[in-house]
Amino acid sequence: MPGPVRAVLVLALLYLFLVGVRLLESGINGLGSDFTDALFENVTNPISGLFVGMLATVLVQSSSVTTATIVGLVAAGVIDVEAAVPMVMGANIGTTVTNTIVSLAHVRRSEEFRRAFAAATMHDFFNIVAVAVLLPLQIATGLLSKVAAAISRFLAGGEELGGTFDSPIKGAVKWLGGMIEDALDALVGPDRLLAALTILLAIAVIFVTLTFITKNMKVLVAARIERTLNAALARSGLVGMVVGTIVTVAVQSSSITTSILIPLVASGILTVRNAYPITLGANVGTTITALLAALGAGKVDGLTIAVTHTLFNLTGILLLYPWPKIRYLPVVAAEHMAAFAIRHKTAALGYTVGFFLILPIVGIFVFR
Amino acid sequence: MVLEFFRRGGHTTLEEVEQSLVDMVCRTHEVYDAAMEAVFGGGKSKDTKRTVKSTDRSINEEQRRVRRALMLHAAVETVDLPQVLGYMSVVKDAERAGDYAKNLYDLAKYGANFEEAEDRAELEYYRDAVGGLIDEVAEVFAHRNTDRAAALIERADGFLDQYDDHVRAAYDSAGPASDAVARALYYRYLKRLTAHLMNLLTSLVMPIDRLDYYDEAKDDRETP
Repeated sequence: MPGPVRAVLVLALLYLFLVGVRLLESGINGLGSDFTDALFENVTNPISGLFVGMLATVLVQSSSVTTATIVGLVAAGVIDVEAAVPMVMGANIGTTVTNTIVSLAHVRRSEEFRRAFAAATMHDFFNIVAVAVLLPLQIATGLLSKVAAAISRFLAGGEELGGTFDSPIKGAVKWLGGMIEDALDALVGPDRLLAALTILLAIAVIFVTLTFITKNMKVLVAARIERTLNAALARSGLVGMVVGTIVTVAVQSSSITTSILIPLVASGILTVRNAYPITLGANVGTTITALLAALGAGKVDGLTIAVTHTLFNLTGILLLYPWPKIRYLPVVAAEHMAAFAIRHKTAALGYTVGFFLILPIVGIFVFR
Repeated sequence: MVLEFFRRGGHTTLEEVEQSLVDMVCRTHEVYDAAMEAVFGGGKSKDTKRTVKSTDRSINEEQRRVRRALMLHAAVETVDLPQVLGYMSVVKDAERAGDYAKNLYDLAKYGANFEEAEDRAELEYYRDAVGGLIDEVAEVFAHRNTDRAAALIERADGFLDQYDDHVRAAYDSAGPASDAVARALYYRYLKRLTAHLMNLLTSLVMPIDRLDYYDEAKDDRETP
């Protein structure tokens, strides 16, 4: 497919993605507040919310899908910003499962696997450390969401939480979203079945459009990704972070960026420490999807949770990276775990299944 | 560096790799010329030694750069895997060709000198043949000319048996051991240099599983 045609396709998919977020919002509103309050009662516990975000992301293998859905839920008013913050933190942890799975492909070659597994799990450890520090702080003080609310207020022209704001994106999305809603309304009638169908359609649209946006963007910018990563291979620090952010914004998926790094680290042409800042940049870059979704939804609450997601990742970096003594804490932890994993290879599989699947399931049941 | 992402156009990684392979062959020619100058009685000056060493080192570094670029390309663009595997294989041949050119220089270092040799005309004939071959390989590979590649492979094939005959003749020779060793190694290195250059060209015309067998007997090479 010629590049310009693919670019137009990506724009069309992006538009459909925003329509999906709007449909999700209106579908949830159609369920009625009694029903949604009961449905989302469990996630009012922050730890449960954290595990819900984590599990949902592991299951769809995309934090972008989860965070865009969370933005839709917050914009619809079913979850408040405070309850949604742990969920986006969980989504951040959950998204690292993809590169951990990619690293398992190297399991038969010990040295390769040691490097690959360390590169994958340093992302896990970084997110765990960030959550371990910032989640209690958020619960105790609401710091992240308060700062995010202030930024959102500024961006929304002074509108408070609960308010709305206009954007050209919102206007464009309203047109097709409204048409689809009217069509479904005419077909099914205005009841909970219509709402449930709308939600299902919305989630399918969000998932499918994001998948194809990522695939097509990867094709469109593959040469640029290569050039940029090639230039950053022997560098570290800020350059790596910016590269990670740009590449991830371009492909709308941190999993793509971090999964590209795994074979490079496994083969030894990129060190784990040089991959580290690129990974942190990918963490920041992936928040663009929720920000786009929030612009389409046009609700200050939705924008606030999207900004919180960005702030969380930026604060996580500021928490560790500027301080040389603790900068590589996640890397060192990952290297120790990788050293253990090459001696006990089933432990690597056990960790992946246990941490990303069993732990959140158990956590949701325990903390609901 | 970060701005690389926003730069328009430019060559693709595979095009850059192809250019690197051509550069490696061209640099091999530089080493080869310096080596032949030394072997045929020219200077084994410090300058020549330095040039041979630094050029060989630059070929080795280019090989590592190509490997890194191919690995990165494979991680991003899995559809190009056949080409990546092919180039990953033949970049070794480009580097080895440079090594054998350096080995020819080492012959002079160990004392080989064909300046006054009785068979100088014959030695020079093969020297020029391989020198021309290096140029042609660089040109054919640069233009991805499969017809010329096939013809060149066929032509180079004819030389391989001749090199073997000369090695055998050196072994049977009743002359001084130093002369016999010098000739045996000279023809052996020319054969290896030719084989590695042809391996490079086979990547244009052969499937991946047939790469790397250029120095095998022709019928072995062509066995399905």
